Amino acid sequence: MLLTKENITEIIPQQAPFVMVDNLVSADETGFKSTFKVEENNLFLKDGKLQEPALIENIAQTVAAGFGFVDKQAGGKPKIGFIGGISKLNIHALPTLNKTIETTVTHLHQFENIYLIKGENFCDGELLVTCEMKIVVQE
Amino acid sequence: MNREEIISTVKEFLSEEFEVEKSIIEPQANLKETLDLDSLDYVDLVVVIEENFGFKVTGEDFVGVATFDDFYTLVEKKLAEKK
Repeated sequence: MLLTKENITEIIPQQAPFVMVDNLVSADETGFKSTFKVEENNLFLKDGKLQEPALIENIAQTVAAGFGFVDKQAGGKPKIGFIGGISKLNIHALPTLNKTIETTVTHLHQFENIYLIKGENFCDGELLVTCEMKIVVQE
Repeated sequence: MNREEIISTVKEFLSEEFEVEKSIIEPQANLKETLDLDSLDYVDLVVVIEENFGFKVTGEDFVGVATFDDFYTLVEKKLAEKK
């Protein structure tokens, strides 16, 4: 693990109860991977299922954790990023309580300080959400 | 690919991607204003350029690109560099 539940909030700007990522599993030039367990106190838990906004936020926070980790490794401070746009969003399924989500972020393109990424999250191998996201990183 | 082919290809993908009529893509028209590009849209422009021509562009490449004519010249130059 590159980051864990204990230290990930030192890297991402989001704080409890809005943290939707637990562990940063990997980070390299191709993308980032994270995990997140659906717990009972999650703000977006409804009828035993984690709702769509949490899954999208999970992808965005995986990006934040990944870029933040890379910045820190390079000796800098984690930069703040903003969601500039979401496209090609497909919701396939919602994870249930106590399940762990595995999230994959793939870098597609970069133009200046704007990154286009593909985000996917899975639960027990089943695809939950897939989308493309533009992330604007504050210089 | 010669300049005419570049123009034809560019018109095709820009009209589709940015939902504009091909007829308004005139050589001397301003690229940014005609396509109503904001900074986020440039990522989409970069994507369609790479998909159609197979090269990457950076912010520096767009310095001096104001009109579609300038843009065609940029594409010509990048394609020549690729060879």
